[in-house]
Amino acid sequence: MKRTFLLFLVGIFMGTLSGLTGQAIAASSIVVVVDAPPRTMHPNGSDADCNLSVMANFFDGLLQRKGPEGKLVPALAVRYEHPDLLTWKFYLRKGVKFHNGNPFTAEDVKFSFERLSNPEVSEFINTGKSIASIDIIDDYTVVIKTKEPTQWFANNLHQIYMTDKESTEARDPGEVGVKPIGTGAYKFVEWVKGSYLKMAANEDYWEGAPPIKNVDLRAITESSTRFAALVSGQADLVSGVPVELYKKVIQNPKLEVITRAARRAIFLALGNKPGSPTADIRVRKAMYMAINEDEIIEKIMRGHAAPAAQIVDPATIGYNPDIKRLAYNPEMAKKLLKEAGYEKGFDITLAGPNDRYVQDEKIAEAVVKYLAKVGIKANLDVKPKSIFFPEVTGGKLDFYLIGWFDGAFDMARTYFKLIHTRDAERGFGGWNGTKFSDVTMDLLLESTAGIVDQGKRLQVIQDLNKMAMVDKIAWIPLHYQQDMYAIQKGKGIKFQPRADRWIIFKEISKE
Amino acid sequence: MGTYILRRLIQGAFVLLAVSFICFIIFRYVGDPVLSLAGRYATIQEREMVREAFGLDKPFYVQYTRFIFNAAQGNFGKSYVSRIPALGLILERFPATAELATTAIFIAFVLGVGLGVLVSVKPYALRNRFIMAGSLGGISTPTFLMGIVLIMIFAVYLGILPPFGRGDTVKIGFWRTGFLTWSGISHLILPAFTLGMYQLAVLLRLTRAGMREVLTEEYIKTAWSKGLPPRKVIFKHALRNVLIPVVTMTGLQFGELIAFSIVTETIFQWPGMGNLLLTSIYESDQPVIVTYIMLAALIILSLNIIVDILYAFLNPKIRYD
Repeated sequence: MKRTFLLFLVGIFMGTLSGLTGQAIAASSIVVVVDAPPRTMHPNGSDADCNLSVMANFFDGLLQRKGPEGKLVPALAVRYEHPDLLTWKFYLRKGVKFHNGNPFTAEDVKFSFERLSNPEVSEFINTGKSIASIDIIDDYTVVIKTKEPTQWFANNLHQIYMTDKESTEARDPGEVGVKPIGTGAYKFVEWVKGSYLKMAANEDYWEGAPPIKNVDLRAITESSTRFAALVSGQADLVSGVPVELYKKVIQNPKLEVITRAARRAIFLALGNKPGSPTADIRVRKAMYMAINEDEIIEKIMRGHAAPAAQIVDPATIGYNPDIKRLAYNPEMAKKLLKEAGYEKGFDITLAGPNDRYVQDEKIAEAVVKYLAKVGIKANLDVKPKSIFFPEVTGGKLDFYLIGWFDGAFDMARTYFKLIHTRDAERGFGGWNGTKFSDVTMDLLLESTAGIVDQGKRLQVIQDLNKMAMVDKIAWIPLHYQQDMYAIQKGKGIKFQPRADRWIIFKEISKE
Repeated sequence: MGTYILRRLIQGAFVLLAVSFICFIIFRYVGDPVLSLAGRYATIQEREMVREAFGLDKPFYVQYTRFIFNAAQGNFGKSYVSRIPALGLILERFPATAELATTAIFIAFVLGVGLGVLVSVKPYALRNRFIMAGSLGGISTPTFLMGIVLIMIFAVYLGILPPFGRGDTVKIGFWRTGFLTWSGISHLILPAFTLGMYQLAVLLRLTRAGMREVLTEEYIKTAWSKGLPPRKVIFKHALRNVLIPVVTMTGLQFGELIAFSIVTETIFQWPGMGNLLLTSIYESDQPVIVTYIMLAALIILSLNIIVDILYAFLNPKIRYD
């Protein structure tokens, strides 16, 4: 009895071992592991970067962002004109075909933009609703007029994907949402939700066939499993190497780690409600100076972050290189608090998410401790992002930690959402969670909408940035996160991470 | 018996109704789906427009009645995230979870009962004491720790088993199975062991306790004294009588394995229903969450009823009136 039982056990193990033939990977194939799964196959059905990044391989926008710097270059439109503040005229690329063979024409552009306003299939309601009219001049010329001057309209077009009118209307809506047909460098092969997404090179791609022929994209949300996939050689390229396992990864001779500054800045938002302590700019300044950001980066981020002096990154229009961080100076902070009449400090609640950004909860804890050192009693109130974000958009907070970057690379768009006085009527301040309000900044921001000369506009936005960060201390900037990737050495994979963290497979090659 | 089953079914319907009501109340407070549905850059007005389009501006009782009305017709609404019907999304994941749970319960049953018998025959042997101590470990080790340790040993250091996913699968009709490929089976081993470990330990202890009690009974002594071979005494006379509570337990546990394999599925990135549930909670995808919990309640209820009925067949002493 005993023996048969043992034999049975051994049998199970031997059987499975013999079945484990090494997973040979063809030369032009790649297995990519990411930390967040694709959500839907509707091209604009999600505005999460994890989804936009995947869709960018199946679909093209009128424009695209290329290479590590994310330069805006033509894609399905060969060029565009912007004759007045409301008008955008696009000249389309000829001879482009969708994966099903349908030609790409102006009809598809009109259809794709109109679809953006339908909440059933789009999370780009804002872009859809900003459009007043779409006119087809001929098969390859389209004129789009916006309702209001929208300076960043073209800057956003790398993530507005063009979809095939004929097949989208003809197919069952359920199928459209799981089997995408685009013009992109890769054709859809198979999506097993929660497991993998397979794609194959589009040999007729208008930019030329991509070097990698087969892509197998897998999402692993659990960081230790992602690490195991990498170390056991099951993944060629992994994005989202966990900070806590970074050392283990660099010690592994088979792996190469690539890091780059992320676009997202982490910062603290403050209110200025009349009568509240933070209405006094000296208090806001004191809180800024009380926080030892260098120590946060060293101890909590373990070196994987860069200090930020503003809330936009260098790639964003409006980034001002002249803005410097206020140095850590608790003594000065105490002095400022005394001047403001808060020698004994005050109570404030620091809110924040605990499942959104790298080490978000730890950072918030550290901020509370630094503030305590200058006498400010901050109560920590961290919670899941699904609870936290509605509080921000509801304008219910006094002081909170948040991260942001602008998908259209335009600071004005971000400022309209984050710092303009809340105004439901005009659609401003939707993410102004502390109801911060400053008339001077509002007026300056609104004035940028009507500036035709882009050089002049940039100047005004940069000035506005400086005003917000230095003169008004509207936020306390903390740091830019760092993105970490790992690749298997010796497989000849050439990969350069992008600023937006998208993985565009046509930009990867393998020897 | 007939009236008993009918009564159980009616009770079950009420339980389901209560579950759906509680779900609905709770998930009103786990976040606002409109925020992501309308997109990050939506204005306050655009958000309200989306809220109306999805009927989320309606009062609670209207939303709930509409949900029950639709659910009764098999329509559980569309996922807010993937924008396809929630029920289809979950059922598509069902084969993965069912195969994982079946394998886990199979391992737990075979090893649990097998080792339980082994241990009960010579309870004081050193090896058997080790097995008993190990079973305590199996009960008290949290699943996530067990999973990570197994991954580290078998996938990272030894490199003999894959750390995540389901491997190659074969599609038979709507059912996507991993049983038919080596890759599928090798991917199944670690998660199935992780998931079944607790059950294994429970069944082992249950079998051992039962066996120890039964082996002292008079009729076993009679069997020994008749000179029957040990195999016959232990398996035919003793184990059969011990199996009744063990089978009941296995059946009850099976439902829970299917419904709540969340942790194991997340660690091994197993594309099953539990993994989907966790992702959906993170994304405030209410239609999927509510549908899942309804489905889980349905599975557990059905298994409970089936076990009750089987019990009556296995043990003629039990009567339901």
